[in-house]
Amino acid sequence: MNDSELPFLLIGNPANKRTHGLQAARTKLGLAPAIVLPYEQLLQRTLYIEDILRNLIGCKEVIIRLDAPGEHQAVERELIAWGAPDRSGDDLFWSAGSLAEDISIAASEALKLPMEHGRIFYPAQWYRGYCRFLAALQRETRVSGISVRWVNTPGSIARMFDKRSCWHQLSRHGLPMPALPAPVGSIKNYDDLQAAISASSMKRLFIKLACGSGAAGVIAYQLNPRTGEELAITTIGMEEREGGCSFYNAGLLRRYRERSSIRRIIDWVCREGAHIERWIEKESFESKSFDVRQLVVNGRACHTVLRLSRTPITNLHLRNERRMDIDQLLSTEVEQAVKLTAEAALRAFPGSSTAGVDVLVKRGSGMTYAIDINPFGDLLYGAEYEGMNTYEWQMHQLLRKES
Amino acid sequence: MEIRLSIGYDEYEEGARMSNLIEKLASGPDSQQLSILTIGDWGQAYENSPDSFLDTLISHKDSFPSLKKLFIGDMTFEECEVSWINQTNLAPLLAAFPNLQSLSIKGSQDLSLQPLVHEKLEELVVICGGLPKSVLEEITSASLPELKRLELYLGVEDYGFDGGIDDVLPLLQGDLFPKLKYLGLKDSEIQDEIAIAAAAAPILDQLDTLDLSYGTLTDVGGEVLLASERVKKLKHLNLSYHYMSDELLLRWKQSGLSVDVTDQQESDEEDWRYPFLTE
Repeated sequence: MNDSELPFLLIGNPANKRTHGLQAARTKLGLAPAIVLPYEQLLQRTLYIEDILRNLIGCKEVIIRLDAPGEHQAVERELIAWGAPDRSGDDLFWSAGSLAEDISIAASEALKLPMEHGRIFYPAQWYRGYCRFLAALQRETRVSGISVRWVNTPGSIARMFDKRSCWHQLSRHGLPMPALPAPVGSIKNYDDLQAAISASSMKRLFIKLACGSGAAGVIAYQLNPRTGEELAITTIGMEEREGGCSFYNAGLLRRYRERSSIRRIIDWVCREGAHIERWIEKESFESKSFDVRQLVVNGRACHTVLRLSRTPITNLHLRNERRMDIDQLLSTEVEQAVKLTAEAALRAFPGSSTAGVDVLVKRGSGMTYAIDINPFGDLLYGAEYEGMNTYEWQMHQLLRKES
Repeated sequence: MEIRLSIGYDEYEEGARMSNLIEKLASGPDSQQLSILTIGDWGQAYENSPDSFLDTLISHKDSFPSLKKLFIGDMTFEECEVSWINQTNLAPLLAAFPNLQSLSIKGSQDLSLQPLVHEKLEELVVICGGLPKSVLEEITSASLPELKRLELYLGVEDYGFDGGIDDVLPLLQGDLFPKLKYLGLKDSEIQDEIAIAAAAAPILDQLDTLDLSYGTLTDVGGEVLLASERVKKLKHLNLSYHYMSDELLLRWKQSGLSVDVTDQQESDEEDWRYPFLTE
């Protein structure tokens, strides 16, 4: 590390692609490796950020990057345990109150959860755990007295993660957002949903697990007003088990038509917390609909990836086709509108300097909507901007800022 | 000249109507030269049928003297599920436009073509999730002496295909449309049965192209096609999107025939096979 270089702490899972990608970029740009603080140890309280920061006393400032906690079984269990009703925690970033018994488990049980691939365990409790962890991290960092610069602050990450608060934040900042059939968070079950459909006459909706990542828990729902038929297209799989039904991420889209199944899924998503908005018809290319994952770093749009799908759900986890030759696919005006929308979305979160914004282009109109912001949305294989991958670009920006 | 008209959800909510767009087009400067008219979503097609604009289009027929191609219902699942698109009897359009050469239709809910009579129509395409037996009957009893290309998505029972192989057989006889060169019987859940019937069908002697793509074709139907002497005389065979084995694909390749066997599918974990357009 040269004298002017600021220490860079990375909170993440050490063995994953994100961490490797970031470290490789630092090496390439001649920066010292980031100091990696594993989620697992921080959550298990065998490592404290305070202690690490104390070792850095004398540095002008320390940069801290929080990366995705996902895809690590022990970390998943710990986060669910942190959110448990029998554990106390700082609920500064959590506003949904206590968790109902049927959607929560005790901390000791959480730590014993058998991790099955794809199974969606207690998403609300998981998110509450993550909020508590973020609050703890913020407090401990403040206590250390060291000057810290967050890539994305714990508070902004917590808010982005909740699709309800995210929608609110973006609309308060004047971004056009998909209309809601009922006020944010007011639909608590299938019957509420039907009432909202009647009142709003919106028959095609996206129902999303408020705190889900990836395509987990997203439902494209529609009601045929003529026949009363329903159709729910979703990644949510259901399995009958002893003591009820368990839900998992099917990895492939399923189509549900029976009311009983649709009711069960929607009741579950609503119980865990749902964000429900109008389905805006997406622009398509060669009969595949698409949206745009637009990375924004330090206020500026950079890497762009188009996600094309033969279904209403476009997501990189669904093995959707990815296209990076946006010049071929989007007109200059639309490309520009996507970038401006993504940049405006980031401005609604002043605590965040980096996020992947999912931008939808409305079919036939060129109107753009920021429908989701992912504070960890920078893992974009193969995407290049000015000859750099996403991590190289971020480190390059950091160097420019330093000098 | 080609024009596409479509109404999005918001525009419809704000009062836009397809009949108004058609009137505007008819009174505009482009109407005389218009040769291809595509009507996309007419506004919440899961609720409304083309009845809301059909009369307007027909009453302005004299404003479109050059119209050769018409597509009613060109929309994607983002606008309306294909099996939910409401259709109606579109035969009055054929009567109104005697110089039409091509008619494409998407959606089969309440679709009919009665009477299906036209002196000049060369191309008829019906894209849907399931073609009702009643529409198949209308086609097999049609009078379309100039028809060169017929492309039908047969689909699945769940989306409206209530027929069986017997309802398809008349199309393979070869005496219905003397000038037919391209026959597409595609996107079917009984694609093997159709392939077996087609392999020995007299109509192959007059066709350039047989299109059995987008369905659930397996080795069962594929083997019979490959062994058929009549198939060998075709200029092209389209079997893209299929469930045939690697071994059979190799044999197709070695056959020297012009055949499209791209887009191989795998049955899902419960051994279900889906046609291409089943939503």
